Amino acid sequence: MSVISLEALAKRYPKNGGGETTIFENLWLSVNKGEFVCIIGHSGCGKTTVLNSLAGLDRPTEGVIIVDEKEITGPGLDRAMIFQGHALLPWKTVMANVAFAVSSRWPKASRAEVESRAQKFIDLVGLTGSERKRPAELSGGMKQRVGIARALSIEPKIMLMDEPFSALDALTRGSLQDEVRRICRETGQTVVMITHDVDEAMYLADKVVMMTNGPGAMVAEIVQNPLPLDRDRTGMHKHPDYYALRNHLIDFLVSGSRTFRDNIPPGYDPRKPPVVRPAVAA
Amino acid sequence: MMTNNAGRSYVVTALIAFAFLLAWHIGVQTTSSGGPPLDPEYAKLMGATATTGKSPMPGPLDVGAKLAEHLSQPFYDKGPNDKGIGIQLAWSVLRVAMGYGLAVLVAIPLGFLIGMSPMMNRALDPFIQLLKPVSPLAWMPLALYTIKDSGKSAIFVIFICSIWPMLINTAFGVASVRKEWLNVARTLEVGPFRRAFTVILPAAAPTIVTGMRISIGIAWLVIVAAEMLVGGTGIGYFVWNEWNNLSITNVIIAILVIGVVGMILDQALARVGRAVTFPE
Amino acid sequence: MSIFRDASDYRLRLRSGCSCGAHESQAAHDAAPVSGDNQIRRVVEGAILRAMFPQDEARRNFLRTVGASTAMAAISSIFPIAAATEVFAQGAKPERTDIKVGFIPITCATPIIMAAPMGFYSKHGLNVSVDKAAGWAVIRDKTINKEYDAAHMLSPMPLAISLGIGSNPVPYTIPAIENINGQAITLAMKHKDKRDPKQWKGFKLAVPFDYSMHNYLLRYYLAENGIDPDADIQIRSVPPPEMVANLRAENIDGFLAPDPVNQRAVFDGVGFIHLLSKELWDGHPCCAFAASREFVTQTPNTYAALLRAIIEATAYASKAENRKQIAEAIAPANYLNQPVTVVEQVLTGTYADGLGGVKRMPDRVDFDPFPWESFAVWILTQMKRWGQLKGDIDYQAVAKQVFLATDATRLMKEAGLTPPTTTTKTFSIMGKPFDASKPDDYLKSFAIKRG
Repeated sequence: MSVISLEALAKRYPKNGGGETTIFENLWLSVNKGEFVCIIGHSGCGKTTVLNSLAGLDRPTEGVIIVDEKEITGPGLDRAMIFQGHALLPWKTVMANVAFAVSSRWPKASRAEVESRAQKFIDLVGLTGSERKRPAELSGGMKQRVGIARALSIEPKIMLMDEPFSALDALTRGSLQDEVRRICRETGQTVVMITHDVDEAMYLADKVVMMTNGPGAMVAEIVQNPLPLDRDRTGMHKHPDYYALRNHLIDFLVSGSRTFRDNIPPGYDPRKPPVVRPAVAA
Repeated sequence: MMTNNAGRSYVVTALIAFAFLLAWHIGVQTTSSGGPPLDPEYAKLMGATATTGKSPMPGPLDVGAKLAEHLSQPFYDKGPNDKGIGIQLAWSVLRVAMGYGLAVLVAIPLGFLIGMSPMMNRALDPFIQLLKPVSPLAWMPLALYTIKDSGKSAIFVIFICSIWPMLINTAFGVASVRKEWLNVARTLEVGPFRRAFTVILPAAAPTIVTGMRISIGIAWLVIVAAEMLVGGTGIGYFVWNEWNNLSITNVIIAILVIGVVGMILDQALARVGRAVTFPE
Repeated sequence: MSIFRDASDYRLRLRSGCSCGAHESQAAHDAAPVSGDNQIRRVVEGAILRAMFPQDEARRNFLRTVGASTAMAAISSIFPIAAATEVFAQGAKPERTDIKVGFIPITCATPIIMAAPMGFYSKHGLNVSVDKAAGWAVIRDKTINKEYDAAHMLSPMPLAISLGIGSNPVPYTIPAIENINGQAITLAMKHKDKRDPKQWKGFKLAVPFDYSMHNYLLRYYLAENGIDPDADIQIRSVPPPEMVANLRAENIDGFLAPDPVNQRAVFDGVGFIHLLSKELWDGHPCCAFAASREFVTQTPNTYAALLRAIIEATAYASKAENRKQIAEAIAPANYLNQPVTVVEQVLTGTYADGLGGVKRMPDRVDFDPFPWESFAVWILTQMKRWGQLKGDIDYQAVAKQVFLATDATRLMKEAGLTPPTTTTKTFSIMGKPFDASKPDDYLKSFAIKRG
């Protein structure tokens, strides 16, 4: 049962000196409830545009986006965004940043209710004790944790993440990935995340959407993650299917993303991109 | 190290001040006149400058003594044209506060409008560009003619001169609020008023306050000139009145006092600026 | 919008009617019997009529239609004129007592200023605040804006304002002249050997205002000496308080200025007095007490009380024995803001000339309130001579309308003074006689003039 459905999406920009550039067109994608979907592709393939369109911050030139059986027309509290650059309001404390979201979601809630709810999510991301700090006093990882707490606190149907960990150092990134995976599994959160980090996609995603290069980008295929649900970040490379999956993804990024459009396989239907499940030959 | 450096800078400041005062003191020493002795009746009718060659420029001691005299009774009132320096300052500050307050009330909402709407920005830009460089005092005759009240005209001139930096800074600050902060508000479905007050205003506040600080400086510069022009009351009138009396001593005192008040106003706004500035 | 009123409307009123509005013309007004009770009754009737018919035109039409005596009989049936006349005679209570009068800190303003500290205003039941103004343009604008009820002006200014030269035309009046003489030409010390104006080519000289006796006298003096005041030298308008500073800075070579500016230049050793204005024209008017016609007509009692106070102050100031006391009263910061000795030298006429000598000229400045209409005519000829006034004007009508000689006569009598019996007189300037009845011939007689 799909909670998100992108139908015949296209984005075009007017070109300098007339004409227009098509970033992508006739793009179809559906995401099921509770699924963690990563979109992978090179810069310029329009993956951020897809995500922003989903968030309602951008408008596709053509096509519709259906969330929970309703077409979306703009941003909404049913979708929460975690921004690449944390996007905390620097003049507010950690508590105030989260409370700002909570009180937006429940405008009639009392101050105490808002604060106790915000506190719950600050605790959830492990920032207990830093409530009164301002963003400038926090490390990059802590800031992004606040961003996650803020997004989760409004109980969104869908979480949208735009390369949320790309600005972090490897250690911090790893621990945050663990955190996100734990929270999402516990809450059954539906997530759409953009990344160009193959390992991140393999660890977090149930489904990886492979986009070819833009302009004229398309969804080449959808890769099912063959790794077990209880995988852990440090041990998953020992799984027999690990390299099959990794090689498949890297091969696509190195060459497939570039050549796919010239050798479209027979029977390819943009409405139903092929679904593959890379695994060692049985 | 820091405190040591700061301490040293105080010493240098004091030395410069002392050197300046000393040079001033020596520079205005009486030069004995070598001319022929004057008819005593004639000499009685002449000023000290003409008879003894006393420099028309007062020394620091004269200024200090006179300053002490002013400060000992700042609020005396000996008629409509002779009031204590405290009363004159209060008038000037009051006029600045009124003109500046009005300018804040107009410039900040208008700046918001301009900053949020590129169309309004383009539409109003020619007017702002045209009116901004006009010297504030050039408005005075027009103001006197239309408002028909010199006190209100002075306030109007303050208003018109302090509006531009605030307007431009507000518009700029609002227009350059980070897109992602606005996006946060959009994804949270924050209404326009709440967005204006909880996101745009705090985000633009440092820029707005910078504009306000520039404005208060200009307003204080202009009030002195405006009061010299319209007379009546105020520190500008005091300067004019003492110029009329050719009392350089009082003019120097006025310069000092104007400087001190200007500094206080500027520092007050600087403090507000620090309060609304946020580190990123 | 009264300030945008067409000038032609005013000109129309310039030529008809009288100051009380009850007579066909000023001449008829003057011819009416002026015996004590009758006069008061006339004033009261005029005030009632003005109150009932605020517009001149309507009032005159009413009077013309029914005749003055019928009108008064009709009005007295509904208004107790007799009682009102009595009240007026007992004190003529001012309509309002808080009055603001503007002045420029120069000795010409002596009567206006001294009337405050010396109690002339309060004697007539007025609470007058005398406010120092920063310049002539400011005093003009503040008076037009009604911030001042009346003001010290240069005597040509009300003429210029009434005629709309340099501002919008607003009917202005001079109920009293303040001072005669009292100006001087001061030159920078470096010119102490150039006492002949013929040596002054290329000088920069200052006068207080374009519409001032100073400007006209200086131009007259130069032209009589063969110097064209526009071609051969530069004449600048500089506010009196800035003159000494400019002279010291050598921005100007000299000035024809009101006192105490001249004496202050001497006191500070930056200039010397070349000649006194009385040496050019003994008895010339300088500054005036001016009020808008609106103030005169709408609050006649206040106006009368104010004028009485000024006339009395002027009379007091004209007595030599009072001058020292006056100097002390007006020298403080609230008024002239000058050293007492400077003001004293101006008022007593015993002064240092800046060249080492002490001069004694008791009539260096004098005070005489009478607004001779011929003064106005002379000023108008000079405005025309130097191109400030273009086209033809009715010299006598403008003079009569602005210089309120009749009111001054009446109030001088009430104050126990002896006013002149005529309103014009002949006088001569630098030996050249002026006849106010032949202004155009006079104008033609000058070799140096504009247009």
